[in-house]
Amino acid sequence: MATPGAPRRAGGCLVNDAAQVTGIFAEEEACAGAIVALRAAGLDAARVFSPFASEKVAEALGVRRSPVRFWVLLGGLAGCAGGFALTIGLSTLYPHRTAGMPIVSLPPFVIIAFELTILCGALSGVLGFLVHGRLPRAAPVPGYRVEFTNDRFGVVVVCTAAEVARVDGVLRVAGAREVTHESA
Amino acid sequence: MATPELGYSDVNRMVLKTLAPPGRRYWLGVACLAAIVGAGFVAWLHQVRTGLGVTGLRQPVMWAFYITNFVFWVGIAHSGTLISAILFLFRTRWRTSVYRAAETMTVFAVMTAGLFPLIHLGRSWFFYWLLPYPNQRGLQPDFRSPLVWDAFAVGTYFIVSWTFLLMGLIPDVAAARDAATGWRRRFYGFLALGWRGTDEEWRHFSMVYLLLAGLATPLVISVHSVVSWDFAMTQVPGWHSTIFAPYFVAGAIFSGCAMVLTLLIPMRRMLGLEGALTPWHFDNLAKIILGMSLVVSYAYVSESFMAWYSANPFEYETFNQRYWGPYGWLFWLMVTCNCVIPLLLFSPRLRRNLVALFVISIFINIGMWVERFVIIAGSLATNTMPSQWGVYKPSPVELTITAAGFAWFLMWFVLFSRFLPIVSMTEVKEGIRWQRQARREERGGAS
Repeated sequence: MATPGAPRRAGGCLVNDAAQVTGIFAEEEACAGAIVALRAAGLDAARVFSPFASEKVAEALGVRRSPVRFWVLLGGLAGCAGGFALTIGLSTLYPHRTAGMPIVSLPPFVIIAFELTILCGALSGVLGFLVHGRLPRAAPVPGYRVEFTNDRFGVVVVCTAAEVARVDGVLRVAGAREVTHESA
Repeated sequence: MATPELGYSDVNRMVLKTLAPPGRRYWLGVACLAAIVGAGFVAWLHQVRTGLGVTGLRQPVMWAFYITNFVFWVGIAHSGTLISAILFLFRTRWRTSVYRAAETMTVFAVMTAGLFPLIHLGRSWFFYWLLPYPNQRGLQPDFRSPLVWDAFAVGTYFIVSWTFLLMGLIPDVAAARDAATGWRRRFYGFLALGWRGTDEEWRHFSMVYLLLAGLATPLVISVHSVVSWDFAMTQVPGWHSTIFAPYFVAGAIFSGCAMVLTLLIPMRRMLGLEGALTPWHFDNLAKIILGMSLVVSYAYVSESFMAWYSANPFEYETFNQRYWGPYGWLFWLMVTCNCVIPLLLFSPRLRRNLVALFVISIFINIGMWVERFVIIAGSLATNTMPSQWGVYKPSPVELTITAAGFAWFLMWFVLFSRFLPIVSMTEVKEGIRWQRQARREERGGAS
C-alpha cells in the first residue's frame, strides 16, 4: 500500500500533492544536459518530447533498444515458414506437372517465401510499433505542447509539490527557455 | 552544405506553407489530368467490351505497350526506395530533403504499374486467379511460374512501400495537425494516430523505420529481378539472358532518379521549396544518374557482346534486327538518351543547372521507356523463325491508356504534394542538427 500523503501514479501522472514541471528547451544539447542534471539531482524525467529523433536525448535517458525488432524477426520467420508451407502444401495438394519440373521445386518457392518474409516482417514490425508506442492514442499526453512538433524540446518531471522549486532550478540552470508548473 | 540558413521552425513554416489551400490553377491542372485518366478509362471500357483485338497486339508480338508500361513504372518506383531506404541505411545526408517526394513517387508508380498487367489480361476481373485462395476449381497457381512470382513481388512491394511512406509521415502529419484547423486538423490528426513525439514513441519509431528500410532494400532488388525474370526465364532470343536482373535493377534506378528530377525541379519552384531542395541535392542525384547511365551502357554493350560471342544465330539475328530492323531507330534513340546525353552530367556546372537537369531527365525518361519497348516488343517481333516475324504498331486505345497511365501517376503525385508534407520536416531538422554539429567541430578544430 502506498504511504499516506505520498504521490501515487494515475494514468502516468501523480495525484494528491504531486506536481508536473515542464522545461522547454530550444536545443537538444540543453535538453539532454537537463536529463543528466535531473538524474544527478536524484530526479527522473517522466517523459521527453522532441521534434525529431534525438540520439543525444536517447543517450541521456539511457534508453534500451526497442523490442519492435523481435516483432520483425518473428513476423519474418512466420512469413518465411508460411511461404514454404503455402507453396509446398498447395503444390502437393494440387499436383500439376509443367515443363518436366518437380512438383516441389524449392528454388522458385524460395522467391515466394522471401517475399512473404519481407511482407510479414514489415507488417508485424508496424504492429509492434503501434503496440509498444501505445498508438493510436486519443487521450492527451500530459505536458504536451504544440511547440514540441515544431522547434522545441520538452522535459516533463513529475514530483511532489515540495520538490517543484528544486526541479525548476535544475531545469533553468540546464538552459530551459521556459519552465511551467501544473498540479498533476 | 544543404539548407545553410534554416532553423527548426523555418522548416515547419516552409513545408506547412505547401499545405495551404491550393488555388484555381492547381485545380484546373488536376482536372486536366483527371480528364486524361477519364479518357483512358473510356478506352479501357471499350477494350473490355470489344476484346483485345482493339489493341495492336497480334502474333508474334503479344506483349507490347501495356507490358512496357508495367516494366517502366515498376522501374520508376525503384529509385524512391533507393533514396528512402538504401541511402537511409548508409546515413546519406542529402537524402533528407528529397526522400519523401521520391518515396511518394514510388507508391504512385507501383499503383500505376499494377494497372497495366490487369489491363493486359483482357478479362481484368479474373486477376485474382493469380493468387492462392480456397476455390472449387481444383486448381492453384503454379508457383514455378514467373508471373506468380510477379504477383507476390509487386503485391509485397506495393504494401511495404505504402507502409514505409505512411510510417515516415506520422511525425510530420502530427506537426501539420498542430498547425491546422477544421477538417484538415481532423484529417492530419487521424493520420498522426495521436503522435506527440515522446521519447518512447521515437524509440520504437526509429527501430521500426530502420528495420523497414532494411527489409525494403532486398525487396526492391528482388522486385525488379523478378520482373526481369518474366523475360529471362523464357527461351525468346533477346530475353533469355543471365544479366537481366542486374541490368533491369540498374535501369530502374537510372530511370527512377531521372523521374525524381523531372518531378522535383518544377515542384521546388511551384511550392517554394528552394530552401530545402538546393542545387547540392540535385548535384548528388545527378551523380547517381551518371553512375547508373554508365552501368546501363555497359549492360547494352555486354548483351550485344554476348549475342556476338555466343555464335547463336537466333540471338545474333535478334540483335541485328534490334540495331537495323524496323525498330532500329528506337534503339539508337535509346542509346542517345540513356548513354550519350547523360555524359553531360560529367560537368559539375550542368549538375547544378536545374534547367539543364530537367531537360536531361526528360530525355532519360523517354530513353528508358523506349528501352523497355525495344527489349519487349522488339525481341518478340524477331522471333526464332523468320516466318514468325512481325511488326507491332500501337492502336489508339493503347496510346490513350498509356497517356492515362502518366496522367494517373501525376494526378496522385500532385494531389499528395498539396495535402501531405512532401518534404520530411523531421529528417530535414536532423540534417540541420548534423550541420550545426559539423560547424561546431570545424570551429573547435580551427581554435
